[in-house]
Amino acid sequence: MTTSYAIEVKDLYKSFGDLQAVRGAQFQAHTGEVLSLLGPNGAGKSTAISILCGLLEPTRGDALIMGHSILSEPEAAKACLGYVPQDIALYPDLSAHENLVFWGKMYGLRGAALKQRVAEVLEIIGLSERQKDRIGKFSGGMKRRVNIGAALLHKPQVIIMDEPTVGIDPQSRRHILDAVKELNRQGMTVLYTTHYMEEAAELSDHIAIMDQGQVIAYGTHDELIRLVGEQTRIDLKINVESANVLPAWQKVEGVFTASAQDSLVTVLVDDSNRVLPRLFDAATQSGARILSVDIQEPDLEAVFLHLTGRALRD
Amino acid sequence: MKIIDLALKDLLRSLRSMFLVGMSLLAPLLITALIFFAFGGLGSDEGSSDLPSVTVGIVNLDQPATGAAVAIGDSLYGMFTDPSVSSWITTVKYVDETTARAALDKQEVGALVIVPENFSAAILSGKAGQPIRLLQDPTLTISPMVIQNMITSFLDGITGGGVAIQVVMESQSARGLTLDASGITNLISRYQAWYTAFQRALFHDPQQAALNVRTPAAEASSESSGMQIFSMVMAGQMIFFAFYTGAYAMMSILTEQEEGTLARLFTTPTDRTQILAGKFLAVLLAVLIQGVVLLIAGRLAFNSYWGQPISMLMALLAQVVGATGLGVLLMSLVKTSKQAGPILGGGLSAVGMLSGLFTVAVPNMPVFMDTLALFTPQGWALRAWRLAINGSSASELLVPLAANLAIGLVMFAIGAALFRRRFA
Repeated sequence: MTTSYAIEVKDLYKSFGDLQAVRGAQFQAHTGEVLSLLGPNGAGKSTAISILCGLLEPTRGDALIMGHSILSEPEAAKACLGYVPQDIALYPDLSAHENLVFWGKMYGLRGAALKQRVAEVLEIIGLSERQKDRIGKFSGGMKRRVNIGAALLHKPQVIIMDEPTVGIDPQSRRHILDAVKELNRQGMTVLYTTHYMEEAAELSDHIAIMDQGQVIAYGTHDELIRLVGEQTRIDLKINVESANVLPAWQKVEGVFTASAQDSLVTVLVDDSNRVLPRLFDAATQSGARILSVDIQEPDLEAVFLHLTGRALRD
Repeated sequence: MKIIDLALKDLLRSLRSMFLVGMSLLAPLLITALIFFAFGGLGSDEGSSDLPSVTVGIVNLDQPATGAAVAIGDSLYGMFTDPSVSSWITTVKYVDETTARAALDKQEVGALVIVPENFSAAILSGKAGQPIRLLQDPTLTISPMVIQNMITSFLDGITGGGVAIQVVMESQSARGLTLDASGITNLISRYQAWYTAFQRALFHDPQQAALNVRTPAAEASSESSGMQIFSMVMAGQMIFFAFYTGAYAMMSILTEQEEGTLARLFTTPTDRTQILAGKFLAVLLAVLIQGVVLLIAGRLAFNSYWGQPISMLMALLAQVVGATGLGVLLMSLVKTSKQAGPILGGGLSAVGMLSGLFTVAVPNMPVFMDTLALFTPQGWALRAWRLAINGSSASELLVPLAANLAIGLVMFAIGAALFRRRFA
């Protein structure tokens, strides 16, 4: 079956008791592109991709992977799919080579084809020299690489990566981001979930922003930024709890939205030059002192703030 | 094919788990070895000697007493060179103590017996003289102790003979008769001949010995001979640890769930039934391999007897099916590997005790214990092994085998259904 979409999510719902984790999510990934699913923790990203990978059954709706329904053709859908879980999902007491051989077999590879592909993947992830070492002896970054390698063995058309850079050092993070670009360059469609807007901005052809189980915005990076219009984002650090000053700033003329976390307040304004003095005045009246000011061009953080009234990091 | 791949992966992980290898193979062998050595090797064949061989050096400086033809030292030497002990005692004669001590220092001999000059004269006159000295290689324990006992027994006999001769002489004297030297010599020679025969019979032919100590169990029937009892002890250990292995191997599904690899498996184009089947096969193979290894090890290390080949295989099958079924069921009832700990440690031990696995060598156990054992797969496995070890035919093992097949399959079916529901 041929389709222009590698991934097509149609009106997806998933409930856990009274909790609706996914509520009518709908998005598509074109074949050969990187689609980032961006949203704060608890937005429903992991639940959505768990459904796509066949780990969870949707309460309602369906999704197609390379045209195969995850409900009616789960095996065919899975065969097109490589999944990189957020946490390391490897056997620590087996070597890198043994792990890859096993996962290759689970994707149906056998004999010479398996042997060759394992060698290729070890080259791709740069661990040929350490292939006989047990995973348990590897550093966190090396484990991440094998974790990705295990999803590449069967040359999947679609690869889903669930927040693969959470909790790792900058060097390993850079390696993973470069790997994603390389895989995409080789023709793989990548669905990349993250709550780091910089990663989404760097990697993606399209970005779907999720919040509270729904896709609240979808488009290219520039298209999403245009949603904010001419608004400017200002981050202000203050010397007191944000609750002291936030209500006052939300009433300042020229401020569209304001969101706070601890002592850091993010506001969207129409003209920073005009609004900033008013923010200082309001802070003084509230008994707060501004410690630092950071004026930023519109970005995905601003988009999220604009759409939800909350910061992405909340 | 994927089922086998899954099973082999689990087996490889099991073999690399020092804990599992220790608990499934080393622990039962170690416990059995401890029991084996604590009871001096119950499984050894009767009639064959387990005593380690020893080389005894003798320095015999004794001379025949006046009127006697043979010195007591020569008789002692004769005891150590008797054909009946030649299988484990080698005797080397030394002319002087210095040479003999040097040989002992070099461990050329394990024990050194020094008979002093005029030992016979001192004994026959009833006067205190120099004693026989026994020196030993300090690294040896059992053999020198046996040599010491032999010397003590020999001297007791000589002392007894001296008393007897004294009594005879006093008796003759009371009648106004006196024994001449040749009469005394003749008397001593006859006593020596009798005593040598007595000793030989005592040490080397228990059937003719004056005192024949046997246990009531040994008297009862060949069924409970030492070897069979010991084999049953090992069978009890084997069954206990087989059921432990079954549960522990099945715990890998919980471990995989916690490691995230189970979820990852579910994202591959592998049917969940195949994944579960692979797990079950791994448990079955782990228990089977453990059983085979322990049977061979028991045979080679402890000379355990497992019955006729067919009976042995049937008992092994009963054990494997029961252990696999119970392992699957138990692990299907717990959610995490932490929860599994008490079941593995306490639950299986308690059921093992109720099944009689730890009391196989205890005679006259209460009847209700036998009845209780019928409600556990361990109890039926033990019953199967008891029959096999006692030499029962395959047809006699059909009942315990069928019972464990039924119990094992029912438990397996329930456990598999619970797992399927959990991972649906």
